[in-house]
Amino acid sequence: MDPTQPANGAARRRRPRRSRRRMRPLSRITLNLAPMIDVTFLLLIFFLVTTTFKRPEGIFAAQLPKDAGIPSAALPISPIIVRISQPTPDGDEYQIRIDNFTRAPQSFGELARFLIDIQGNPGFDRQTPVVIYPGRDVRWDHVVNCWNAAVRAKCENITFGGQ
Amino acid sequence: MTDPQARRRQRGAPGFNMTPMIDVVFLLIIFFMLVSQFASAENVPMDLPKPEQSQAVKTKLTDRVVVNCLLATPSAPDTSGVAYSVGPLRVASLDELSARLAAAKAANPRLQVVIRADRRLPYRAVHVVMEVVARHRIEVMNLVAHVGEGGR
Repeated sequence: MDPTQPANGAARRRRPRRSRRRMRPLSRITLNLAPMIDVTFLLLIFFLVTTTFKRPEGIFAAQLPKDAGIPSAALPISPIIVRISQPTPDGDEYQIRIDNFTRAPQSFGELARFLIDIQGNPGFDRQTPVVIYPGRDVRWDHVVNCWNAAVRAKCENITFGGQ
Repeated sequence: MTDPQARRRQRGAPGFNMTPMIDVVFLLIIFFMLVSQFASAENVPMDLPKPEQSQAVKTKLTDRVVVNCLLATPSAPDTSGVAYSVGPLRVASLDELSARLAAAKAANPRLQVVIRADRRLPYRAVHVVMEVVARHRIEVMNLVAHVGEGGR
């Protein structure tokens, strides 16, 4: 037995002391998530309450005459005159008439098709002015629909007529 | 090993895993932040025209003034009068509207007018605004409508 070497029993006794030091619980830094979750939920509720899904808006550009109300020049070609009227003031019904044409479109889709068809006739093309004459009581929705029909037919000169 | 207390100690305290919930909440927040549009004050909420296969063009205009034509009492559209506003500011009469447009035109000669009108209004309520616009020699007038599925 080597006298410089500790006895087996002593070595066995020292080892557990070292491992006990390692086993001591380490002080762990923890992040408190509660305030962050609170704020996150508040943000979520704010966005849920304030968000409104609105339909996108667009525009129809219209050029007005430079001289107020007075035509600056005589129209070179005869325009297509579209008249809209509303038989009942509070109804959704409307009537479309086109001057000098017997065909009366029943809807704005038909009006668009009529304007497309007419462009194939001699003397008419996309440049032919389309003048819309709405009745005083016609709903604005119908007026804009009429303008939209002319844009759908690729008409390039669309205007409102005086009352 | 059959001691129930020892088994519980081995398993650890029962916990609630918050990670998936926080992930979902963050995703929702990011979604709402991206889609929410803070409404422009000058675009007063109203029922705008909805043309069939709308050809209205989405565009951002500079040098513009927005004239809103609203139902004075939206709950009774058939009997309601009309109210006008220039941007968010109500105008008491057409004369006041005219004065506002004149001032805006004097400040910016390239001024364009954007007319936003409730779809249930009669044409005459909007026509008077057009007359005022034409009187001030504002050459470009834009009519606002919804952009539909077929819109550009």
